[in-house]
Amino acid sequence: MIAVAAGTNRIDPYLIPALDGVAYGLLVFVAASGLVFCFGVANILNLAHGLLYAIGGYTAAALLDGGWVSLALALAVGVLAAAATGVLLAGLLTPVATGNHLSQALLTFGVALAGGSLLVAGFGPDNPQVQVPAALEGSVMVAGHRYAAYRLVFIVVAAVLAAALYLVVRRTRAGMLVRAAVDDPEMVACLGVSPARIRAGVLAAAGALAGAAGVLGAPIIGPGTGTADTVLLLSLVVVVLGGLGSMAGTLLAALAIGEIQTLGVALLPSAAPFLLFAAMAAVLAVRARGLAGRWRAA
Amino acid sequence: MPLTTPWRSRALTAALLAAVLTTSTACGDDAPGTGAGGSIKIGLLASLSGTYQAVGTEIRDGFQLYLDTHDGKLGGRQVDLIVADEGNGAQTAVPAATKLLKQDRVSALTGIVGGGSVAGVTPVLNETKVPLVGSNGRPELKDVSRVWHTSYLSDEPGEAIAQHVRDNVKGSVYAIGPDYQGGWDELRGFTDAFGKIGGKLANADGKTTFTPFPATTNFLPYFARIKASGAAAVYTFYAGSAAVDFVKQYAQSEIKDVPLYAAGFLTEGGVLNAQGEAARDIYSVLNYSPDLDNAENRAFVAAWKAKHDGSPTTYALASYDAAAVLDRAIGAAGSNPTPEAINTAIGQLGQIASPRGTWQFSTTTHSPVQKWYLRQVRQDGRALSNTVVGDLATVGR
Repeated sequence: MIAVAAGTNRIDPYLIPALDGVAYGLLVFVAASGLVFCFGVANILNLAHGLLYAIGGYTAAALLDGGWVSLALALAVGVLAAAATGVLLAGLLTPVATGNHLSQALLTFGVALAGGSLLVAGFGPDNPQVQVPAALEGSVMVAGHRYAAYRLVFIVVAAVLAAALYLVVRRTRAGMLVRAAVDDPEMVACLGVSPARIRAGVLAAAGALAGAAGVLGAPIIGPGTGTADTVLLLSLVVVVLGGLGSMAGTLLAALAIGEIQTLGVALLPSAAPFLLFAAMAAVLAVRARGLAGRWRAA
Repeated sequence: MPLTTPWRSRALTAALLAAVLTTSTACGDDAPGTGAGGSIKIGLLASLSGTYQAVGTEIRDGFQLYLDTHDGKLGGRQVDLIVADEGNGAQTAVPAATKLLKQDRVSALTGIVGGGSVAGVTPVLNETKVPLVGSNGRPELKDVSRVWHTSYLSDEPGEAIAQHVRDNVKGSVYAIGPDYQGGWDELRGFTDAFGKIGGKLANADGKTTFTPFPATTNFLPYFARIKASGAAAVYTFYAGSAAVDFVKQYAQSEIKDVPLYAAGFLTEGGVLNAQGEAARDIYSVLNYSPDLDNAENRAFVAAWKAKHDGSPTTYALASYDAAAVLDRAIGAAGSNPTPEAINTAIGQLGQIASPRGTWQFSTTTHSPVQKWYLRQVRQDGRALSNTVVGDLATVGR
């Protein structure tokens, strides 16, 4: 993306928004992929997904002190805490029949409200400051424009995360089981693998992803009282745009959201309030399955 | 039974949820009462939970500080302070105010963070004929006969700083703010006054750029437009988490060296801590700063610091002043300070000495005619703080 470099003067002002759209889109991808897995694979509608991200965000605010060690620590603690919350959710969801979205929505939304209040009670109503490592605090020049160093590094890290996710789903036994559970859940059960175990595993993985996104994304979408709602909303839009079928669809949708929210806003600021939802409506109208096909097409 | 439901129904579920999450509603109606004796009942309504918890807490603490430093008395009478939670807006504020006014029968009401809450509570005030000495939110009101505010009108900060920006910025100014009533008022105050004295906006169509609120968390695309506009300075108003996002992203953006002027709420209170270094050097206009050099303020700040971490905010000050107003009004209302008598007495107070400097109620808007200050975020000991660097206009009508 950086290699696109300085184009003509007409393109030049939009270079940074376009680059930032990639950073924002990749953050949305990492944050939303957990929800997409839950919904698409385990068929669990987890409205507490934003809470999982917020847990990561608050962990980052509490532990980061401007050093690299604290970043690694915050990442570990945030991922574990969010994954543990995911397992807790799976436990709470056990009595709720799979596919009963209304009960799932009510239960997980209740957990999200209670969890949100607990976070505010624990960390206070103010938006806490997030201190990234000093080396990433400043800004760098990209093709003659100033851009936040942290966001540039974030693009690389999030891309690595996305690639790792793809490999895990495609190449490992766990990933194969998860994909098999989508294609033919009865057959997977016949093989002696409990769908309940897969469900707990998927929620834990979703929590870990959201937690990682929360820690690493804290300087971009920071922790605060509205964070959980923002992330949940963006994740649901990813589901609508990208479908539940494939990682490629999720990635495409997340990047589209990133560009709509940055490049789109830079090009058409007066349309900013409804750009995202206009895009969502357009995709639904033209192609109800989302931007990409089914999961197996990953 | 298959574990998966058809994709379309899940897409619909997700779309519906997204729609629900983007909308919210608020409404309010209903009515108040009184009480007296050797003691007097005062009701304080403030957001002690929800989005504005930080502001609500400051308002409660500011009022309490005045009571604590005045033997718990207002106008020579022992105060029975009844605190209620305003929540996020009129929906929760109106029932809470109704209880204070009708059940507890308070003699006066104070506090209220949100403008929408004030609008919702006003009919109840008129029904029960109890005065409100509000300390923050102030919507457009047709009838202010029982409504007084110790804070400000939303368009006054911008009006007060316009001349300074005109004098000190060589070039056009880019105006940007959040897309809701408070944002429109704050920015209109600046752009109207700035335009009248010959100032030119850098915005493409000559009109303020409004960002979706509260949806905007990424301001970078707007910064790219500001850069392209060639603006010599930026004027803005944001509060809460949007203020944190705006300031932090501004400091790392390609317009980081463009001077930033703002209504004081951009860097006031808790948000300044969250912004940290990114807020350094920002100019803002406000009716108060904890480093103002007068006897009232020195006493106020010392008393505040003895009980709380950090310096008092304009929110705490306005509530402290609301208590001072009630103190004098109850004292002047005679041996039987009914709500009506207190309301009449407030209208005859004249000059009020305050940590912000002397001010008085406007006879038409019932909000302060007061001096505004230019502040800059500078190092103060170990922390960054809003430091007064000059006096601006006295505004009020």
